[in-house]
Amino acid sequence: MSKYLDLSIESIHELLLDKKIKPIDLVNESFERINNNKLNAFITIDYEGARKMAIELEKEEVEKDNLLFGLPIAIKDNIMVQDLKCTCASHILENFISVYDASVVELIKEKKMIIIGKTNMDEFAMGSTSETSYFGVPINPWNKNKVPGGSSGGSAVCVASRITPFALGSDTGGSIRQPSSFTGIVGMKPTYGRVSRFGLVAFASSLDQIGPMTRNVYENALLLNIISKKDEKDLTSFETNEDFTRLINKDIKGLKIAIPNYFVSDIVESKVLDKLNEIILLLKNKGCIVEYVDINHIDKAVILYQIIAMGEASSNLARYDGIRYGLKENASSLEELYKKTRSLGFGTEVKRRIMVGSYILSGENANIYYNKAMQIRDDLKKSFENIFKDYDLIIGPTSSRVAYDLNKENTDPLKCFLDDILVMHANMGGFPSMSLPMGFIDNLPIGMQIMGNRLDEARMYQLASFIEKELNLNLEVGDINE
Amino acid sequence: MKDKLTKEEVLHVLDLARLNASDSEIEKYQVELYKMIKEIDKIKDLHDFDEELMIAPWENSSCLRNNEQVKLENKDILKNVPNKKGNFVSVLVEVLKDE
Repeated sequence: MSKYLDLSIESIHELLLDKKIKPIDLVNESFERINNNKLNAFITIDYEGARKMAIELEKEEVEKDNLLFGLPIAIKDNIMVQDLKCTCASHILENFISVYDASVVELIKEKKMIIIGKTNMDEFAMGSTSETSYFGVPINPWNKNKVPGGSSGGSAVCVASRITPFALGSDTGGSIRQPSSFTGIVGMKPTYGRVSRFGLVAFASSLDQIGPMTRNVYENALLLNIISKKDEKDLTSFETNEDFTRLINKDIKGLKIAIPNYFVSDIVESKVLDKLNEIILLLKNKGCIVEYVDINHIDKAVILYQIIAMGEASSNLARYDGIRYGLKENASSLEELYKKTRSLGFGTEVKRRIMVGSYILSGENANIYYNKAMQIRDDLKKSFENIFKDYDLIIGPTSSRVAYDLNKENTDPLKCFLDDILVMHANMGGFPSMSLPMGFIDNLPIGMQIMGNRLDEARMYQLASFIEKELNLNLEVGDINE
Repeated sequence: MKDKLTKEEVLHVLDLARLNASDSEIEKYQVELYKMIKEIDKIKDLHDFDEELMIAPWENSSCLRNNEQVKLENKDILKNVPNKKGNFVSVLVEVLKDE
């Protein structure tokens, strides 16, 4: 089996430029890895479309300045790719075919990247293990008995096992960063509005954001360069035109870094804190100023997240009615049609959230829960903004522990919210936040979080690139099929 | 002390969400939904905050897109319609009587 996909993208680009390999070689290698590894990372694999595009690219000159030319990429299955299924890992959309490309997908195609398939995930992105998928759980390549995290578990598995160098995920409360932590890859949730959400199936619209999941920091910044653009089809997107790689490997001396006391409290396992302490020492030795801070309302984020995410989800998922698209059950009245279709089509976790969300938004409850949550959310955002007046970045662990056993903790309806207890603040305030590997505990990778002020992704990559270089971790999983 | 929702409360929430459930599922929801609602009820104990709302972390002032038709063909849209007749979505007819 060829191993081009283990090379750096600069090396792959050189080989393409020198005509030593063709895009079809990379695509075939991706497919070979999918079939050998059997990690259930994909819901749809586009053998025909990907190979067709790869062969068409052979007629074109390799674009010298486009490092992404001809490279395979995987897309989370809640992002539209024209003519491919978009199931959101749900029975209700099992046979739904996208009739248009999401705006991010248009940008990826413009750069001549090759989409090889749609990745597995928690149903409608609701979950933190990918176990709520209708299509079975994707497997963590570091240990097949452990969850890969979620909801973008398939994308994380795909990149961690080097099926593709790149994948797109979506993050509503940690769904890019937590699986990145569990699988030893780099995942970025950009500033809210940096990447268009047009063509992303909505879960909680004020929290959702698409972001890049990659093998390393540089490739992550490169992909963010491509997918960040103002889009008239998403009115929350903004003008953005910057090179996110520009500060990579620049000196970090003098950076002021805050660590919220909450992020290093007893909610985090001690082995994880030990790893973070090693990073803190590294940063101090390099001349960074690292200080512990208290942030008002930081411990309230879980309650706010539950209320806002479930409320918005119940509203967004009201569209699945069995009439316009998706599953349809036979019924003798409209009411019966809605109820039968939705009851059969949605899984347990989704149904629970829709029920509580409907309760939250019903009558006077909208004021008691949702409006109040939005008021405290505003305060929480301001608390973080105050920290960013004095500090450049915030750091902490991404997750409170390493990946845990499959099928172990999926019966507690509150558990999955607690998995994201350290990362959902970024979604609340629209701040960018990323996870990068900071080491291994019991042979499983664990990630650290870097959070920046709005629009400050380049500085986050600057710090991340320093840590990545200093740690120089071996993140190759090895031969999974053995 | 209450440790679960009543069956009627679950039926009400199911109705709001346009969902059905079997008796055994309802029993399960009585406990699970109680836990979840008890958790979000903690917001009632929070008092120290400003009145200002944040609907979304979005600071754009303009919110109008160009007046252009989205370019989608009827035949493409209809591909995913489960029940159709010609170029139309077929919907159950209901005649509601005045009570």
